[in-house]
Amino acid sequence: MVDLATILAGFADAFTLWNLLFVLFGVVVGQFVGAVPGIGPVMAMAIAIPFTFGLDPLPAIAFLVGVNKGGLVGGAVPAVLMNTPGTPDAAATAMDGYPLARDGKPLKATKMALFSSVTGDTFSDLVLITVSAPLAVLALRMGPVEVFALMIFAFAVLSGLIGNSLIKGVIAAALGLLCAMIGSDPENYTPRLLFGYWELFDGLPLASVAIGMLAISEILRRLSQIQGEMKGAIEVRDTGDPNDRRVTWAEYWACRFTMLRGAVIGTILGALPGIGSTAAAFMSYATAKSTSKEPETFGKGNLHGIAAAESANSAVVGSNLIPLLTLGIPGSVGAALIISAFMIHGIQPGPLLFQDQGRLIYGLFGAMIMANILNLWVGQAGLRFWVKVVSAPESIIFASALLLCIVGVSMATGGIFGVAVMLIFAGLGYLMTSYGYSVVIFIISFFLGPRFEVSLSQSLALMNGDWTQIVNYPIALILFVLAAVTTAWFLSRRTPEDPGASVSIED
Amino acid sequence: MNMKTTADRATGGFFLLFGVLLYFVIIPKYVEVADGAWLMPSTVPNAIAVVLSICGALLMLKPTAHRVQNTREMMFAGLYFTLLAAGLLLMSYVGFVYAAPVLALAVMLLIGERRPFWLLLGVVGLPAGIWWLVAYVLERALP
Repeated sequence: MVDLATILAGFADAFTLWNLLFVLFGVVVGQFVGAVPGIGPVMAMAIAIPFTFGLDPLPAIAFLVGVNKGGLVGGAVPAVLMNTPGTPDAAATAMDGYPLARDGKPLKATKMALFSSVTGDTFSDLVLITVSAPLAVLALRMGPVEVFALMIFAFAVLSGLIGNSLIKGVIAAALGLLCAMIGSDPENYTPRLLFGYWELFDGLPLASVAIGMLAISEILRRLSQIQGEMKGAIEVRDTGDPNDRRVTWAEYWACRFTMLRGAVIGTILGALPGIGSTAAAFMSYATAKSTSKEPETFGKGNLHGIAAAESANSAVVGSNLIPLLTLGIPGSVGAALIISAFMIHGIQPGPLLFQDQGRLIYGLFGAMIMANILNLWVGQAGLRFWVKVVSAPESIIFASALLLCIVGVSMATGGIFGVAVMLIFAGLGYLMTSYGYSVVIFIISFFLGPRFEVSLSQSLALMNGDWTQIVNYPIALILFVLAAVTTAWFLSRRTPEDPGASVSIED
Repeated sequence: MNMKTTADRATGGFFLLFGVLLYFVIIPKYVEVADGAWLMPSTVPNAIAVVLSICGALLMLKPTAHRVQNTREMMFAGLYFTLLAAGLLLMSYVGFVYAAPVLALAVMLLIGERRPFWLLLGVVGLPAGIWWLVAYVLERALP
């Protein structure tokens, strides 16, 4: 489907100084925001998307990939130093990273996190590059009926896996679809749910919805938790021993099987929509502990614990793009943001992507490889600086994030109306998070909404409006049955007694 | 019945009523009727309304043990939301250049920042930096 010349041209497009600079900038921004508790790469990506409008698609998407990958490395810094993960998936890293930092080895812990993260990420990217094109060939054989059935199945899986209740997941998905219905309907082009606001004829602006729900609502949540009490600067202990500031080759090599296992777990879980990097990190950590000869040392500063968590959570990033690039279905909120960047630049994700935009996709793969190398380099050079970033005042961080969101959305939507929409969705996102409804499912179903309706319409046309003809589409039938079985299985699960804190944007 | 359960039942009830309202009032009034297509403009919105109502009812019957943030936190969030809305209103009248420093100052003071250096950076440096980036480097219009 994609010839060698296209693949080579794509990689050649990626490896230019211009793209290198954008990936480097993305990685630096990602590591910086990852290191700041409360911001994180998802919020940074949401804020950054409008600023990439003026760019060509490849540097724009490469920049966002850099932010995403850099954020996972940066997220380990506050987890290790403060026991406060910058990103939810770094929570498992804190279990062994923080004890090491307390013992005066913060740089050793953060460097182990960096090396494991890059190892897991590179493994996952190689899997993505290898399997996505053949999978896309298979996906191309699917018609509208199969695509519609696949979306129903994806909604069932996402609703059950993300959050603590299938019913709440379905409600979040339904709300996302409802918001996607605003504008003109795709078959008759008649206005729908405009409420007199003709600015909405083309639908709700993607940037307003994404930034409002993912960035502003999260900022509101963080600000409400601060409640006027500024945190003090943290003190980092250092033993002064050079060996405590580095990870030797022997220490890295001793963790090779732990990292490989973590990378495999992260890659497999990342390829399945709905299972995030947090689950991968904890599963890898638990497996490493259970297979270790010294399980009692886990939680007390064991490098294997950091290696397991970081290799798994970073491996999710690459494989998350497998369902996105092959089927057009984002498996996580990070992937949903990348899909929005694709769409903003006029590119429709899905199996045709390899056929129509093969060069761009292999350019993206090249950028991902560059981002891994740069992640290692920037991490090595910048770790000391990120350690200081952890202590940056929240007042300036959140004030700048708010102003950047306002300006970004105004640029993306061409005026203050889009900013007002953003604020409405910020309020909705905050309430949904507070009451345990996943904004991740909402955003994914909002993105998929128009395609969902079009594929339903095409399916009805193909079957002459007679759903009994579904028997002529065995793959679709299997997917519908799987969706029903999955839903029944999730419904039969016992409701958790105490799901803990409210659902975060990463879930 | 404990507090956690009440919150889920309340939101379940809300979605039950919201679905009914959508189906019987909002969709008939705000979705135009069109003939001659396999899918009417109101088909999917109506299906969503039904799903919302059913799920709302199910949630009332089978609530989870989800804990809602405390009232104080929600009030603070409401305060910041109101501040942002006021900032946007101000921005729509006087523009970003004048409204952004006021908004940044209000947010920073509410967070608890009192150090002059950081306040000055937030009120002057931050809006100036964004102005430079957007208006000068990207050559785009500010709100």
